[in-house]
Amino acid sequence: MDNTTIMALCGKGGVGKTSVSALMVKLLARKNGRRILAIDADPAVGLATALGLTVRKTVDDIRRGLITDIQKGTPEDKRGMSQRLDYELFEALESGDGFSLLAIGRPEDEGCFCKVNNLLKQIIADLADKFDIVLIDGEAGVEQINRRVMKTVDHLVLVSDTSAKGVGVANTIAHVAVDNRAVNFASMGLILNRVRNVDEVNDIRTRTALNIYGWILEDDLIHDFDFKGRSLTDMPETSLSLGAVAGVLEKLHLLS
Amino acid sequence: MELFLDTIAALRDFMGQLSPRKTWDKNGTRPWPKGGPRNIVLSEDLGLELGSPEKESVSCLLWTEQPGLVNDGRITLIGPDFPESRGKSLPLGKVVLAGVHGFNEDNAYDRHKDLEYLRYNLDLKGFMLRAVSQFMREWCRVSTEALRAGFNARILGAALMEEFASQEYVKSVEVLYITSSTADVRKLKEITGPAEKIIGAMNKMAEEMDCDCADCDYQDVCDEATELKAMRERLMQKRKKEA
Repeated sequence: MDNTTIMALCGKGGVGKTSVSALMVKLLARKNGRRILAIDADPAVGLATALGLTVRKTVDDIRRGLITDIQKGTPEDKRGMSQRLDYELFEALESGDGFSLLAIGRPEDEGCFCKVNNLLKQIIADLADKFDIVLIDGEAGVEQINRRVMKTVDHLVLVSDTSAKGVGVANTIAHVAVDNRAVNFASMGLILNRVRNVDEVNDIRTRTALNIYGWILEDDLIHDFDFKGRSLTDMPETSLSLGAVAGVLEKLHLLS
Repeated sequence: MELFLDTIAALRDFMGQLSPRKTWDKNGTRPWPKGGPRNIVLSEDLGLELGSPEKESVSCLLWTEQPGLVNDGRITLIGPDFPESRGKSLPLGKVVLAGVHGFNEDNAYDRHKDLEYLRYNLDLKGFMLRAVSQFMREWCRVSTEALRAGFNARILGAALMEEFASQEYVKSVEVLYITSSTADVRKLKEITGPAEKIIGAMNKMAEEMDCDCADCDYQDVCDEATELKAMRERLMQKRKKEA
């Protein structure tokens, strides 16, 4: 994927990963002529809501449909299977304002369907290859990104609030990513969310070796949008959170 | 070897009833630029959609060893052409009729599959195709930019014919597109239904180790097509040898 930049966001549940992802998508989609793919790899499919879209079909729905047909004995060779998955994956692609969204869905059922899973990963990779930037809103663990979406990303972005637990999980994810080689990446860093003041950031710097890409102040506006179920793509341009996220993207050279 | 003669006859009869139509020869079609590896048509670039999952769609490949049954190089369109349908989502019916030689019980299945997959080699700027052979569906998207530049059914048909011409066992090709109405595409689906069953039976034979005809959904199809029976017998002999 030489011309595609892939960014995956991971972190403990509830730290605001999806909100940060949605703001990133909003900012990235601004630039005309650039193709943005958002992949919602969180089983809760929260990114779609944050982006104001309704998901009609997830990758997991597609996978289950095919497996059911295989179990029923409907004949399908590898090429046929691949063709069908490709068709259905494109059907599952939702369109937003300047971006596309693919939802992965609930975790896989028990049982081994390696052939289907591997084909799906390959087709997602082929699809991603056609976009300029791919943003993956992941689950807490980085292993899921590898298992369900893709093995290699350019930027692994860990998101945490200022809680000791959140930062601890971010450190653990970084450890798993580096030592266990769960995901290949070119750069890795941390975004701190719901920060009350700069002292908190300075304190966290003493508890993590991670490069802090940026920090976002606690934002009532995001809370208000979430509360009302409003799409974060409607966030006003003057929003401080949006400005902070733009700073991170600039640091990653994704807004130039 | 012949499997689709009845379907071809029914198709010819149906085509005779449809109008208005446009026909072109593939020779003289203007060349179209290649799309390259990032050729995808997203909603924001969409100029025309054909056979989307919400619309009726049927795509069928038929072959025959009788050269007189194929009008080589002819592209027929029943319904509006692409540039005049900008902004629309239309149903799609498509038939590729190939004049072939040397098909037999040993190679017919593989060759049929290879011909079916040729459409994936199409690399036309601003044109995108997704298909499911199993359901005979084809879904095409043409970008606004491609429509503005004049991309039409003739260019698409001619490009597909070029792909078929690359196979040494293909001697002639004819392509039919229907975009006129859901009813016409449904009728085409009905006409090509027997071919779909024959292809389904071939798939089953090739993919399943167990060829128990008593339990098979395609028993009636094989009973009518002696060539399918011969294919099955050849396959069973081959598997016995391999075992």
